[in-house]
Amino acid sequence: MDIGLLSFIIFLPLIVSFILLVLPVGMKITRNIAFVTTIIVFLLSLSIFFKFQLTDYMQFREFHPWISSYGIYYSLGVDGFSMIILMLITTLIPLGYLFLWKTKKSKGYWASMLLIQTGVTGALLSLDLVLFYFFWESMLLPVFMIIGIYGTGNRIFSTLKITIYTIMGSLFMLVSILYLGVAFYNEFGVWSFQLSDLVQITTLSNFERTLLFFGFMIAFAIKIPLFPFHTWLMQTYSNSPTGGVFILSAIMAKLGIYGIVRFVLPLFPHQYVEFAPYFVGLGVFGLIYFGIAALMQQNIKRMFAYSSASHLAFITAGIFSLNAYGMTGAAFLIVAHAMATGGLFLLTGTIEYDLGIRSISGLGGIAKKAPFLTVAFALMLLCIVGLPGTNGFVSELLIIFGLFEYNHYVGVISALTVLVAASFMFWLFQRAILVKTDNDVSKMKDLDIKEIVGIFGLAAVIIAMGLYPHWFLYKIEPTIQHYLVDILKVGIGS
Amino acid sequence: MNSSLLAWIILIPFISSFVLGALYLYSISIKKINDTIFTFLAILAPITSFLIGVAFFLSLKNGATDYMYEPYTWLGVNGYIISMGFLGDKLSIFMVLFVTFIGSTIHVYAAGYMKGDEGYGKFFSYFNLFMASMLLLVLANSPIIMFIGWEGVGLCSYLLIGFYFTEPLNVVAGNKAFIVNRVGDLGFIIGLVIMFFYVGKLGFDYYALEDYISLVPTSILTIIGIALFVGAMGKSAQIPLYVWLPDAMAGPTPVSALIHAATMVTAGVYMVARFHFLYDLIPHVGEFMAYIGAFSALFAAIIAMRQTDIKKILAYSTISQLGYMFIAVGLGAYSTGLFHVFTHAFFKALLFMGAGAVIIAVGHEQNIFKMGGLRKKLPLVYSVMLIATLAISGIPPFSGFFSKDEILLKAYRHHEYLIYGIGLFTAALTAYYMFRLFFVTFHGKNYKQKEMHYLSWSMKAPLLVLAFGATVAGFVGLPEVFSQTNLIDEWLKAYSGGALHVEHTTEIMFMGISVVVGLAGIVVAYVKYFKYDFNKEIQESGIVYNKFYIDEVYHFIFVRGIQKLSRFISVDVDDGVIDKAVMSLCGGFINMGRRIGRMQCANTRVYAFFMLLGISSFSLYLILKLG
Repeated sequence: MDIGLLSFIIFLPLIVSFILLVLPVGMKITRNIAFVTTIIVFLLSLSIFFKFQLTDYMQFREFHPWISSYGIYYSLGVDGFSMIILMLITTLIPLGYLFLWKTKKSKGYWASMLLIQTGVTGALLSLDLVLFYFFWESMLLPVFMIIGIYGTGNRIFSTLKITIYTIMGSLFMLVSILYLGVAFYNEFGVWSFQLSDLVQITTLSNFERTLLFFGFMIAFAIKIPLFPFHTWLMQTYSNSPTGGVFILSAIMAKLGIYGIVRFVLPLFPHQYVEFAPYFVGLGVFGLIYFGIAALMQQNIKRMFAYSSASHLAFITAGIFSLNAYGMTGAAFLIVAHAMATGGLFLLTGTIEYDLGIRSISGLGGIAKKAPFLTVAFALMLLCIVGLPGTNGFVSELLIIFGLFEYNHYVGVISALTVLVAASFMFWLFQRAILVKTDNDVSKMKDLDIKEIVGIFGLAAVIIAMGLYPHWFLYKIEPTIQHYLVDILKVGIGS
Repeated sequence: MNSSLLAWIILIPFISSFVLGALYLYSISIKKINDTIFTFLAILAPITSFLIGVAFFLSLKNGATDYMYEPYTWLGVNGYIISMGFLGDKLSIFMVLFVTFIGSTIHVYAAGYMKGDEGYGKFFSYFNLFMASMLLLVLANSPIIMFIGWEGVGLCSYLLIGFYFTEPLNVVAGNKAFIVNRVGDLGFIIGLVIMFFYVGKLGFDYYALEDYISLVPTSILTIIGIALFVGAMGKSAQIPLYVWLPDAMAGPTPVSALIHAATMVTAGVYMVARFHFLYDLIPHVGEFMAYIGAFSALFAAIIAMRQTDIKKILAYSTISQLGYMFIAVGLGAYSTGLFHVFTHAFFKALLFMGAGAVIIAVGHEQNIFKMGGLRKKLPLVYSVMLIATLAISGIPPFSGFFSKDEILLKAYRHHEYLIYGIGLFTAALTAYYMFRLFFVTFHGKNYKQKEMHYLSWSMKAPLLVLAFGATVAGFVGLPEVFSQTNLIDEWLKAYSGGALHVEHTTEIMFMGISVVVGLAGIVVAYVKYFKYDFNKEIQESGIVYNKFYIDEVYHFIFVRGIQKLSRFISVDVDDGVIDKAVMSLCGGFINMGRRIGRMQCANTRVYAFFMLLGISSFSLYLILKLG
């Protein structure tokens, strides 16, 4: 085992970021070094992907005491589910850099981007709940700065709203974590916040477990966001700079889903099963509700915010379907949606960069000016719409399978997903990109070579995952089976 | 033969499409590429696929067993495996042959039609993607892989219909095609999922499905059958999902030819034939299908009688002819339906190409009442259009006659007299509206006619080839009275739904009725339109001309309705209720904060009081806890 590989992946951006902030270097050098750092991290995670073994247990474990007197450990590990999200994060971030390249933001912007990376990968790889909470909160700070300093419109208000909203949600989780720690101490006589220890608690009553379950779920539901905790999203997305919205939509929202699977499922298997119908219902409802709401939005980012909420609701329905189809589909849709939505936000950022911020009706006729951008936009859009041949289709199909197995009627209703995104996406494409209008778009420039390489590389992965999904899925299959059989079934049985 | 060649039938146009697309992007943004290169790359693909198809055809003809090629596991979840797989059996190779053949001729024609167009390379990139998707649909060995092609076809139709995307109307038509097709796809995917859970776990390719489908209770089969048929309604433009097809005329004319003749709309018929093992078990769904087909045929024919746009007339005629095909497949006579698909491909491609030639020649005018008297000026187009019009009108010995007559005969033999009657009546209407088009366009005098545009050979040659096809294509399915062997039924034996022996005298009598009905339609059209006076401006109006206002009704219910709902959700519910609640909760905290803030009044006595309060309550707690 490669000792320290995960730590290196987590902390390299942090260290580089501090060094850059301290040293008297300019914006460009900061940016270039930051980019190289993300590439190194990408290569490291690629090595994890290839060394990853086809088993269901945690790999690349790291385990050191941190605050020993309270049993808080520095504990890291990766399994199939977190591995694909790790690949996703480390692939998307350098790609985002290629698009943010030309934005002449200051040094602090790039340093913040690096800090975000540490936060999200740390939260992803932590197996100790306190450590997880630490990263979970710390990833919010740089986002706070990016939106607050570099955002547009009513940015301070948006920043406050997202921060207070999510911190409030996290507090419930923190209380729940502490409660679990105390319960463990009472039962076993030692302190521990290790996930593998906390799942062994037997003394909690059903009522306590239900409360704790919702303590966790509120934090994650706000982050995802699930109905009715979603209103911060639309405002934040529309006021964020491209980098911020890219990170928020493509990566952070997915960590909410990840948190449910990683922590809520093993800690509260009974409640997970008991409340699954509500979350499946909420998911399918959200899919349609947000999808319809997206249709008449006048701001592209706001529309994508609703679109994201719609897909994330669908993913949530998938993870609560309690079977391999839904779970695998959800894992796959996390990746597919992150890629496509991330790509769309980056492309929208390019349009904003050239033309300024405009409503949809203020755009139009971009296709003639920027053919490469148009093709890239279309490919990302088709993935969102779930066209066969893209990974979006595979994941949506699997979730429909999963929901159908869960309940036939829910499955049939969830098939409406084939109509939901198509209705607003194609209309948007028509108005914003294709049709010529009187609006002046002469300043629109096509993608430069960096951007073309980045976005078409992403498109190639999207299509490869759509044409040969098995090659990407077989590595997470054992993990998913492990969740379902060993954790969920055994958890209920005990 | 190596079965991996099956994949190449699809891959060649796919690769061609990719290369063309990349070259096109290169051409418009970096350095201009000569159109000849595009032409060569574009036309090579369908011809190569056709030749491979012919090789498979010959091999199957010599008694080879079905070819199956499964290069890799597409998806494996929960221990169940879905392969990326291709099946080359008699049905799929039959489809491949005419799709690639007609496709090739349309390619050649399009090379002339699109000459000099700014988006020449892009056009052929889409065209070959269309071919590849259609071939994937046809050659897939499981419903899921078929669905990949199925949706790919829908995407390409979107791209091609909205080809001139700077005009809003074209893009709207493209969107409409895609969304309406997606409504159908919703049905398809529901059918697919149900099928997977009831039988697919034992294997999801057609062979396995065929073996195990009888294990499924009839009620479930009925749902699957209807759900899949909804998919077919979308692709094959049947009531109520036909509305996209007439609008699809927004695309360049070769696109219409491709969509209407060789690809896309035939997919629904093919799908039903492919699932014959399913539909054989649920004849009541088949009957429903046949009725939908009959009414679509009639309904579209009625609308076509009053249209003035040459392409719109042809579009409605396609819906009508597809209706006939669904009559056949609905009644279990799959090979008969496919026979009509086959003949229809020739004469409909010919009609569209002829119409395209006319449109080009008169300078992009599509209203037939502004043409007139083109017979002398376009003799070649005139004669091929005559052949095609006779073929669609069901006049022997042209191809449409044999296939349409066989459908009507089958309907009669299944005691579906209403369907038979509708079919016969529609045949009369068809002859009428087609000859209306023909007479108005080519006969009469029109003094307003301007200079004619020149037609290149790459447009003329395909017309000749297809004219030959439209004449003789019917001979592969000769009725019993003329020939002992019906080649089509022989080739598609598994899909013929059992032989229906008919007395020769009866058969001749039915043919006679068909011919008389067709001729009657022609005569009426002749009387009304042969010497049409172009001096008076024609103004068609009324409910039929306005297509029964179906589009308007749909628009009002679905588009306006959902837009209103969307506004309601985002403005009234989200902003008005949910966010307001969140913010007022927040506001509550702020107020509370202000109140608490007042405690910090910089008054030492107050602080001391709070300190005292804190210490004493903590002490009290300790005393109670420890004591």
